[in-house]
Amino acid sequence: MHAKKLSFPLAVVMGAALVLVLFPVFWIAMTSIKPPIDWNASPAIWLPSEPTLINFQTLFNPDAIREYGVGGVSQAATKSVIGSVLASVVSTALSVLIGLFSAIGITRYGSGSKATPLIILSGRMFPPAAIAVPFVIIFSNVGLTDSYTGIIAIYVAATLPFSTWMLKSFVEDLPREIEEAAMIDGRSRLAAHLTVTIPLIRGGLFATTLFIFILNWSEFMFALVLSYSNVSTIPVQLAKYVTATAGTLYGVQAALAVLAMVPLILAGYLIQSHLARGMTFGAIKK
Amino acid sequence: MAKTNPEIDVVLNKFDAGGMSRRSFLSKMTALGVTAFVANAVSLSPLGAVKAFAAIGGPEERAWELAKIAAAKATKKSLTLLIPTGSIGNMTPYADKWKNELGITLEFIEEPDEVIHTKGMQEAVAKTGRYDVMMPTAMSYPDWIDSGVIYDLTEWTEKYQPDLFDKEWGVVFPASHHAQLYNGRVAGLLNDGDQITLLCRDDYLKNPDKAKAFADKYGYPLAVPNTWKEYYNLAQFMHDPANKFYGSLEYRSPYYVKWMFMQRLVSKGRLYFDQDMNPTFNSDEGVAALEDMLAMNKYLHPDAFSFTWSSNYNAFGRGEGFMNIVWPSGYKYSKAPSTGPATSGKIAATVMPADTLKDGTKLYAGMFCWGYGYAVSKYSANPELAYAYSQWMTSPTISADAIPYLGGYSDPYRINHMLKPTQRLIDTYTVPYLQTLYDNMVNTVPDFCLPGGFEYQDALDKQVHACMTGAIAPKPALDNAARAFDRITKRIGKEKVKKSWLALTKNLAEPIKKASGADKWS
Repeated sequence: MHAKKLSFPLAVVMGAALVLVLFPVFWIAMTSIKPPIDWNASPAIWLPSEPTLINFQTLFNPDAIREYGVGGVSQAATKSVIGSVLASVVSTALSVLIGLFSAIGITRYGSGSKATPLIILSGRMFPPAAIAVPFVIIFSNVGLTDSYTGIIAIYVAATLPFSTWMLKSFVEDLPREIEEAAMIDGRSRLAAHLTVTIPLIRGGLFATTLFIFILNWSEFMFALVLSYSNVSTIPVQLAKYVTATAGTLYGVQAALAVLAMVPLILAGYLIQSHLARGMTFGAIKK
Repeated sequence: MAKTNPEIDVVLNKFDAGGMSRRSFLSKMTALGVTAFVANAVSLSPLGAVKAFAAIGGPEERAWELAKIAAAKATKKSLTLLIPTGSIGNMTPYADKWKNELGITLEFIEEPDEVIHTKGMQEAVAKTGRYDVMMPTAMSYPDWIDSGVIYDLTEWTEKYQPDLFDKEWGVVFPASHHAQLYNGRVAGLLNDGDQITLLCRDDYLKNPDKAKAFADKYGYPLAVPNTWKEYYNLAQFMHDPANKFYGSLEYRSPYYVKWMFMQRLVSKGRLYFDQDMNPTFNSDEGVAALEDMLAMNKYLHPDAFSFTWSSNYNAFGRGEGFMNIVWPSGYKYSKAPSTGPATSGKIAATVMPADTLKDGTKLYAGMFCWGYGYAVSKYSANPELAYAYSQWMTSPTISADAIPYLGGYSDPYRINHMLKPTQRLIDTYTVPYLQTLYDNMVNTVPDFCLPGGFEYQDALDKQVHACMTGAIAPKPALDNAARAFDRITKRIGKEKVKKSWLALTKNLAEPIKKASGADKWS
């Protein structure tokens, strides 16, 4: 197929969309290397007057920013970075794994009633703020507050409806006959799913995993409400970069935001071929 | 009162009897482990050394004695403090002393300031016992006391006497009552003098050309404003948008704008409710206050509608305005060369402007808004130790030492902080500004320190902000807020809120009580 030439109006629209999408990223990246005097300057300073890595250093050495006369940062971000990685990776893996088997169960075996998928989704119909406090009570009684086990449990509960629904649509679009052919060849049902279903929907699996990881990675409300001092995640840490002497530390916040973007960009890059396939998988009909 | 060290008694009596020089007295007291501030203040006190020592060092000494006893008994050798992010700088300098001398580790749990109230309410249902001391603003006390999450501290304060109301060393009235009591009972110990004052650019006031032009135009000398009218004139005169220099940096942003309205309303002699809990801010005075604010909008910094406290400080420190209405931390910010490069050494501060009442008298009313304090968790494993910490940290001596540390929100709140300041307090705030803080604080009015206080403020804020952006006219905006207030009062219980409101208004500054008619409320 010959590629069509992009028309001028379409190119303008696409260009505008690209600017809109990339501007926040550009601004955060620039702020992360700005010295404190440039963070909130008026008129805004687009490129740092004297680029510096002090904001990144401050993330791991809170006293570093004192070089610019700014004090009051009391916590390193190390714990929150480790906490985010731990909570997000484990809960994403669990959510996708459970979601995958739920999806296969619902699609292939009609598990539950017709309403089951909707009931599963109903878990996401409440705003997190509404269910956070009841969870505090429950978790307090079972000793799960301020623990990674508790955070992971609630992350899985919160994302499982999405993983189930997303994967359900991918499994539905896979012809059942391919699995049956594998079983005629002598494979068990489980082996057929493991060797046929999963490889064939791997694009959707990658897309779902990335989507669930993004949800977990950026979750704020549950982590804020269910943590005291043992548990920390990046979104909660971002809200803590306020000092009495310098106000909001925009540069340090931006540095942590840049760090937080890295795993998502890397993951997106590594699986981009699967991602394109996963996102379009639903368009391939039986 | 705790026993005094006999050796200290001997030194105090000897100094009173004139048998010791001031220098010897100071060195002896220091050798006996008395805080340098206490020794210095005692030696200068007109009360005489024995009495002064009891008054000045008393709360600190009593708290420390209690802490020693409570620490020895404690099975959990730590105190956990829930504090707002950015406040830790005033507390960490003492962590080693508590660890080394009492064996108590201080653990600080920092949370964003906007969730401290929620975290407290959460503790009321979760009862985790994770916190020993919690550091909310005064508005949290009613809901926290009613939900049973914090102790009523009255009995402890009667027993250990933190001298909250002492005429020389106590918390400045009326914040002493508004920011610490709930229904007449002590709910928390104030550790932060969050009041709003007015800053002006001194270099502009001293400019002879401007002084002449101003006097020619307005018919009175160029100076810091005494009234809201003078404030308006100054903003108009100094407003120079072509050079990115604006008349004032007063807040018009959501969440902050209610305070701008509340102080103007009260300076017109109106409170938020009458004695029967009917909203009164949707009166002629309230409408006039909003109209005054609307008139000011054209002389404000263009970012006034989006300012947070920190971005406001940034803009003033960069030299983008003639006046600013800020908390004491804003003064510190503007005074420091690193954060206030354009304003350092160029600030004249004054009390919030007055309004002229119908009888011609001037009514001054500032806002004592926000203002952190220490509360003791009902679920603390060591509540007496937690109380001891609160009294010790807020004692006249330790608080005077703690406030000047950078990296914390704590600002002067006791009389001695402002009228008998230490050199470190003077270095941080200057003598004229400390005097301004005192003069302003005696006329401050409180936040909605009532059950449901955050809801009342939020309802008012939304309507005032809508009015400032032109979405709604002043009168309907205030009527909307009044209806929302009625709903909140009804839901919480009129008698409950009324009791709290009457207790709150009982301790207003006399001129405000008289002007609003609250002096006649029963």
